[in-house]
Amino acid sequence: MSTADPQARELPEIYIRPEFVADDIGEAVISDIARPLSLFERLWDNNVVRKSSILLGLVVLWQAYTVIFDVEPLMFPRFSDSAVALWNALVYGDLPSKIWFSIKVLIYGYSAGLAIAAVLVLWATASRIGSDFLATVTAMFNPLPAIALLPLAMLWFGLGTASLVFVLIHSVLWAVALSTHNGFMAVSEPLRMIGRNYGLTGIRYVAKILIPAAFPSILTGMKIGWAFAWRTLIGAELVFGASSGSGGLGWFIFEGSQNLETADVFAGLFTVIVIGLLVENVIFRNVEARTIVRWGMSRS
Amino acid sequence: MSETGARLYLRPEYENSEIGAADHGDVERVLPLFERVRNINAVRKLSIVVGLVVLWELYTNVGGVSEYILPPFSSTGAALLDALWTENLLSMIGNSIAVLLTGYVIGIIIATVLTTLAVTSRFGSDLLGTLTAMLNPLPAIALLPMALLWFGLGADAIVFTLLHSVVWPVALNTHTGFLGVSDTQRMVGRNYGLRGITYVTKILIPAAFPSILTGLRIGWAYAWRTLIAAELVFGGSIADTAGTSSGGLGWFIFANQMDLRIPYVFAGLFSVIVVGVLVENVVFRKIEERTVARWGMQIQ
Repeated sequence: MSTADPQARELPEIYIRPEFVADDIGEAVISDIARPLSLFERLWDNNVVRKSSILLGLVVLWQAYTVIFDVEPLMFPRFSDSAVALWNALVYGDLPSKIWFSIKVLIYGYSAGLAIAAVLVLWATASRIGSDFLATVTAMFNPLPAIALLPLAMLWFGLGTASLVFVLIHSVLWAVALSTHNGFMAVSEPLRMIGRNYGLTGIRYVAKILIPAAFPSILTGMKIGWAFAWRTLIGAELVFGASSGSGGLGWFIFEGSQNLETADVFAGLFTVIVIGLLVENVIFRNVEARTIVRWGMSRS
Repeated sequence: MSETGARLYLRPEYENSEIGAADHGDVERVLPLFERVRNINAVRKLSIVVGLVVLWELYTNVGGVSEYILPPFSSTGAALLDALWTENLLSMIGNSIAVLLTGYVIGIIIATVLTTLAVTSRFGSDLLGTLTAMLNPLPAIALLPMALLWFGLGADAIVFTLLHSVVWPVALNTHTGFLGVSDTQRMVGRNYGLRGITYVTKILIPAAFPSILTGLRIGWAYAWRTLIAAELVFGGSIADTAGTSSGGLGWFIFANQMDLRIPYVFAGLFSVIVVGVLVENVVFRKIEERTVARWGMQIQ
């Protein structure tokens, strides 16, 4: 194979650019690197300002729509009327006592539900039959909306707070037990061994190792439980509204709609929203900040 | 402190000649039949269910509990069969599911539009943030009195409340899922020149699917609870105006409670549980297997 390679081609001649020095590049002129935003843009960058202006815009839309089209206040009251109704109910009416009634019932049901869930989960961590029992019962009762039990509860406990509390327990119990148990099962082996190493057993093992390690999912369960309980309570009070006179927020809304005081209905809805916001963004946010965020288990 | 060096003791070498043949006991032994059966999960859980049923039956028969308080399991089962064959329970379940699906699908469409707006513009994102923060804590059932005023007594009012219970959790979870998509994946999408709708469907939705699915699940749970509650609270008026065949499951429970046909109430509760278990453990489990689990985004 001494003959020339047929693939070989003549390479083009390489052009080499001559070196040169540019003499007249002139003074470096740096234009604005940072410029203060205009006042409007700075305000607009503020999250709170943007969100509250959206809220304000919605309110103005509402008011304008009802005033311009002269909507029947029975169907859709003006914002101003609703605000006045809220103010009147809060100051002159019995809205505060109704709110307190709802919250009291909610706290009873919620804490009883948590206590029962704790007992069930303790049993489930301690023995296999407990764990099977919890899994079976949760799978059955978790998909059952608590409110569907209300007719039975009214038969068993009569028309009163007891049946409300029973239904609330049912709505809290399964969600909390399920996610607490899942959380316990997912606690990593090293953490468990540390506990065993310190000689922790029984209740102290659960309290010092399992609960802190599983706290994110316990908290998730408590949040879901709260959401279900709040929805159930309002729904149950709407039913009770038809059955008995002693009532909370749901009853207030029901009464408003029965008396065709639509502005009162909206006032009740406002109150429901405000309580929901307070619980979710103040109470649970604070619990989170004090526990799992501080322990580095979750980013804020 | 007189220092006396310890003398080094050298143990004489020796050979142990009589250790005998190694004799270890059973390394593994076949479990007895009972324990093997007990180790099957399904058997244990089934036996718990059977045990609960037997307990229930015994308690009601031996304790002589009034049928109006707690009917025996046997009459509940008979009532369920009777309701299925002679009282159109199946078509009532069908009615409930049809209303639920209508609300659910429309809710998902609205949530999709809202989140697409939120992804593409800052105004949309602020609007979605404000609306979800306000309306997510508001139980959908509280809107039912207003919905009845606006849409009249009928399926429309229930669909409206269902919409409300689906839109906010789905939109909230989808939006947080979209925000959590990693920059690497976004850049891959940009690199392929995807924008607008194709960018959302090919990059954002698959990447955020776990949290979209969570939102869909929560939305389903709220919608199911809201539907049962709505049918319980106002099922009567709706069924009366639209004819007898239009009632749903909640109405079945409520009507039978009013007639004090307690075994039929339990039969209704059973069907609610069965539908809930089917949707959660079959439909959503399957979707999860086909998507999130297959894509390796979630440990099973």
